[in-house]
Amino acid sequence: MKTYWRCFVCNDIHYGFRPPEICPTCKVKNAYVEVTSEEYRKVGSLTTVEFAKADFRTAIEAFAAPNEFEVNPDRAKVEMLLEGIFNNERNHGLKYCPCRLTSKNFEEDLKLVCPCNFLVHETYQGREDGECWCGLFVRRKP
Amino acid sequence: MKKFLMFHGRECPHCTRMMPLIERLEKETGVEVERLEVWHNEKNADLMRQYRPVIGPKCGGQLRTPTFFEPVTGEVICGEIEYEKLKEWAAL
Repeated sequence: MKTYWRCFVCNDIHYGFRPPEICPTCKVKNAYVEVTSEEYRKVGSLTTVEFAKADFRTAIEAFAAPNEFEVNPDRAKVEMLLEGIFNNERNHGLKYCPCRLTSKNFEEDLKLVCPCNFLVHETYQGREDGECWCGLFVRRKP
Repeated sequence: MKKFLMFHGRECPHCTRMMPLIERLEKETGVEVERLEVWHNEKNADLMRQYRPVIGPKCGGQLRTPTFFEPVTGEVICGEIEYEKLKEWAAL
């Protein structure tokens, strides 16, 4: 089961089966200790992070930059999708893909949070014109 | 008159692009398409979820929009598709 880990030097939080060997924030080796959900929540509440649509766009562009895909150059399409993603966060709790529907199984529905793992989807994998299901991300042209 | 359902999302670009094609299909063939928005209407969303055992296997295991569904025969097609393909499917 995945759990929470806290860097005892800088309070970096990691969620996963095992902790990173080196803390990506303070670079200390073997610095993580397993913590409770309550401790994770309290440490996480030290910083309030709010994303406006423009911030999210910047975030996904940064996410795409080192990868083989990019944010769709069709700005009107992206604008509609971001509207849906933010409406879904406001109305349904998370940034769910506007082109799919939740099942009401929270763990399963985490797979629908944008950006999703679209690299394995049939609309992307092995296709020159690959894109995620909603079209927010498209394979970068050579 | 043949009738089928279209599950769609208000902010789904694929759905938006399919809307004029659906109108054309209705005019040309006489089929009736009931449009059901699923992200802003929980009743429609629950209806789509009810059909998941039928829709899911034909749509990558998920509930995707747009999905076109014929409740009597269980025929399903999903995604943004060309008009001729949609017309062919609707004639089945």
